[in-house]
This record gives sequence, C-alpha cells and structure tokens, in this order.
Amino acid sequence: MKLLLKFDIEIDIEIDIEKFMKKIVLIFLFAFSFSACEKDDICDPTTTATTPKMVVEFYEKDSPTVLKNVTNLVLDTENVNDSIKLASGTKVLVPLKITDDTVTYKFIQNGGTKTLTDDNTDIITVNYTRINTYVSRACGYKTTFELKTTTGIVLTDNNPIDNLWIQQTSIKTAKINNETEIHVKILF
Amino acid sequence: MKLKFMLKYYFRVAVVLFSISSLAQNEKNNEKPTDSVAPKTIRYGVRFGIDAFKIARSLYDKNYKGIELIGDYRLTKNYYVAAELGNDTKTVDEDQINFTTKGSFIKAGFDYNTYENWLDMENMVYIGLRYGVATFSQTINSYKVYDPGSYFGQSAAIPSGEKYDKLSAQWAEFVVGIKAKVINNLYAGFNFRVNKLFVNKKPDGFDNLYIPGYNRTYSGDFGVGFNYSVSYFLPLYKSISKSKAESKTIKK
Repeated sequence: MKLLLKFDIEIDIEIDIEKFMKKIVLIFLFAFSFSACEKDDICDPTTTATTPKMVVEFYEKDSPTVLKNVTNLVLDTENVNDSIKLASGTKVLVPLKITDDTVTYKFIQNGGTKTLTDDNTDIITVNYTRINTYVSRACGYKTTFELKTTTGIVLTDNNPIDNLWIQQTSIKTAKINNETEIHVKILF
Repeated sequence: MKLKFMLKYYFRVAVVLFSISSLAQNEKNNEKPTDSVAPKTIRYGVRFGIDAFKIARSLYDKNYKGIELIGDYRLTKNYYVAAELGNDTKTVDEDQINFTTKGSFIKAGFDYNTYENWLDMENMVYIGLRYGVATFSQTINSYKVYDPGSYFGQSAAIPSGEKYDKLSAQWAEFVVGIKAKVINNLYAGFNFRVNKLFVNKKPDGFDNLYIPGYNRTYSGDFGVGFNYSVSYFLPLYKSISKSKAESKTIKK
C-alpha cells in the first residue's frame, strides 16, 4: 500500500516537469519567431557601400561629350603584381590607396596586346585626401576620397618620344563616395 | 532535487496515515473523511543575490569585467517584483573592428511563477518581463578598412582610441528561468532572456554594437541574454493558504 503511493507521486512530478519544459520551449519559439534574425557578421560589398574605386570614363578628344571605346588598356602600379585590364569599354575602375594620399598608375594603351611595339604608356598620378568612416560590424570602416582641386590628376609621359595618347584629363566629381558617379574624364 | 521532494512527501504520508488511524479510533467523527492535503505555508520576503556567471566570466575572460546584483520581492503567491542592477566592461574583437563598451544598467519588472509547489517548497519555473535602461560609452581600439578586391593587399588594423560618451539604450526583456532552493534560504537558478531594443541613442559615426545589460546587438533590434543567479531569501512574513482539495471537501 505504501509502496504504491510512492510510485504514483514520482510519476506526477515527472509529468509536471515535462509540461513546464514544453511550455518553455513553446515560449522561446514564439519569441524567436518575432525576431528578425539577420546575418550581420559577413560583409557583403554588393549590398553595403564600402571603399569605392575611382571611376574613369573615356571620351572622344574632339567631341568631349561622346563616349569613346578604349581597347586593350592596361593599368599598372608599383609594388602590385596584378594589372587592371580593360579589353574593351568606356569605363575603368581605379583602386586608390587607403594608406596613402597619392597613387601613380601607368595607363598603357594597347598594353593588352601581345606586341610591345604598339604600347604607349602615359602616367597618371592621383592626389587626394582620405576619410575613414564606420560602415558596420562586419565591414568595419570604409575609406572615401576627395581629389585635390588642382593636383588631383597629374598627367605625365613615360617616354616623350611616343607622345601622350591621353589628350586631356578633367575631374568631374571630386568626392569619391561611390562607384555610380563618374569621377574623372579622359579625352583621347 | 527530486529525491528531496519525495522524502518530504513520505514524511507527509506518514503523518496522514497516523491521523487517519487516530480518526478511525474516534467513532464519533467518521462522517466526513478529511482530505489528505494540508494547508500550505507561503513565505513572503525579499530575495537578493548576484549573477554568478558574470563574476565567473570576469575571472576567465580577459575581455570582460562585470557584476550584476539581482533582487525580487514576492507580491502574491505567484507574482514577484524583480530587478537587476549591474555594470559591464566588455571588449569585443571582431574581424574588422575592436572596441570596448563600458557602462551601467538597471532592469525592473516582474516574474510569474508557473510552478505549482508541493507543500512548503519554494521552487520557481517562471516567466517574466523587464524594462532595461543602460548608459554607457564606447571606445574604438582599432579598426580595418574594408576594401573590396583589396588591390593593394589587405590593410592592417588602424589604431584609433576614439571614445563615444553619453550613449544610452532602453529595451524590454522576456525572461524564462528556474530558481530552486538549495539549502535553507539560499537559491540557485538560471534564466534565458530575449531582448527587444526600443530606444538606442547611437553616436555619430559609430553604432552601439554592445550595450551593457542587453549584450550584443543584432540588426533586427533583438538580443539574447543568460543569467546564473545565486540569491538569498530574507523572509518577512508568512501566510497560510488552504489547498483547493480541502476547500472542496468543506463545500460538500
């Protein structure tokens, strides 16, 4: 008689605890269903604006409003093995240094072809000021740039014998905050 | 813990058996057999303690220092007024940013005990709500610039030291937890918290990535928390409630 009683009680407690655990789980599921859990620990530069590149667009030298296709253009800079290549197009994205206020590129016309004799190298030095601003937990900071008014784009020739292939450069938008605007125009 | 419950019950069973046998001896009063449930004693008082998890973490985690005082006051059989008060200093090291958040917080609300205690047990399986307020500062220790493509190579961390003061936040917490009596008036328990941020005074040029008392912020304005509490109950007065089973018997 006494033993039976003990048995009953044990079962009662177990059911109770189970019930409460179920309640807790349900409550948590309810709470989490309302929370919009977004992934915020991976930086996605396609949806978040991070450090922009300088956008350079090419125009006809005789009619500066008409876009001109540039072919086999190669951009080279010191201490970087990788080249920026543009097989054909009117626009090139130029990375700026986030640790320095100046960067120099060789703009090599026909640099993308196998023959070296048709290469024509002009040198463009970009001078700017930098600002680092906070983006997000995952992306950290971004650097935005502002081209200096008079010395923003400086054009020189690598080898004066072959003359400059670039006729004129101009700053269209000095503030480089995004890659949707055109920052520099090159006429050739 | 279960064992303890059972032992108590056996003790009770013994008492009931004894009383029944004494009733059987008394021939005058066998018309209304007494139910086997006795009145419960409910103790009211203040419980105060600490979050042991924060203290332990302060010892093993060099990036964290914090303390949290907790307290509750029993209003009714199942409702408790509850509050927490604390201080956090936390350094967060992310891939792109390293910062330190420092500040204080206070949370107030109530707990509702869903657990039907046996006899004079005082355990809790509870749900609760809190409203939390924090004031804090954030210091950026170092950061990295995200440069897609990183043509010039990955940038090194840039030391900063910039401090953002007078930041504040307000939020609500949904609490689920348990509290059990360990010995005498000493209680141990843990709880989980889901937080929803309502007011978030962010600095210009930075974000509140960590808020004392609220913990890490997520983009959906929600957060989570955990407490391991050790507390001491200071009884102030008692009330005796008659159990349902007994009152039913009386109605008959």
